[in-house]
Amino acid sequence: MTTTHASFVIERTYPTAPPRVFAAWADPEAKRAWFVEGEGWEIQSYELDFREGGTERSQFRFLKGEETFGEKTVFGNETVFNEIVDNERIIFTYSMDRNGVRFSISLASVELKPAGGGTRLIFTEHGAFFDGADGVKMREAGWRELLDKLDAHLAANA
Amino acid sequence: MTKRSTTHATFVIEREYAHPPAKVFAAYADPKKKAKWFVGPEDWEKSNHKLDFRVGGKESVSGGPPGGPVHYYNGEIWDIVENERIVIGYDMHLDQTRISVSLGTTEIRPNGAGARLIYTEQGVYLDGYDDAGSRERGTRELLDQLETFLNT
Repeated sequence: MTTTHASFVIERTYPTAPPRVFAAWADPEAKRAWFVEGEGWEIQSYELDFREGGTERSQFRFLKGEETFGEKTVFGNETVFNEIVDNERIIFTYSMDRNGVRFSISLASVELKPAGGGTRLIFTEHGAFFDGADGVKMREAGWRELLDKLDAHLAANA
Repeated sequence: MTKRSTTHATFVIEREYAHPPAKVFAAYADPKKKAKWFVGPEDWEKSNHKLDFRVGGKESVSGGPPGGPVHYYNGEIWDIVENERIVIGYDMHLDQTRISVSLGTTEIRPNGAGARLIYTEQGVYLDGYDDAGSRERGTRELLDQLETFLNT
């Protein structure tokens, strides 16, 4: 049983003020639009209870599961919000599992800072990855994609 | 208004115990056992330690020096592999102020007839709270107390 610990930081600047960026994390409909919905995935369930101690849970089927992993593949995500400071900071702990087997636990912080008329977002993740050293690279790539989708979501809803 | 800031830090502590992994694991898993060693310094005033040892279960304890601020520990268990691994996410408050959120991984491996324990803590310290190494020192003290507990 090996565990790999790793951390990464991603910074983005959005041309949108902090309250609107924050709302895209806080509002279940908005969050679902950029965080969960996506090509190649079938959403089986999604719920968000955005408050300190509240949870976010999702289950989504990876449509290329058979060709990638050789079996029908369902990913699950469970999040607990440790701290929420309106318009400024969100800290959460989350697990990921594949077909019911947990493969990572992470601690993440999202910091929002005013930058001109927009927002500088700093995403930091610390993770314990159980499925080998590649886990963190895939995770960072996944979050870069999500933060691009957040950018597109903010632009489309300006 | 609080000036918001974060400091991210990771530390690793390794220990070797002359006790097999199952015994070390039990010192974490059995609430009566963990309450014996997972406590603050002797002169502190303390609350009861509470532990519901299952994935999704909670752990809490608080305490502090007489007349000083109260340290509140509130954890949630995220992963358990019997005799091998425990992952706990936890918050610390000093009185009403949240000072940190952390992820702690305890790995236990066979080491001859004993066990090697590797504790990795990844955390974020909040709003100018200056840890200055005290979390790591405190954790080392706890692992000393674990050793004393295992030896008795």
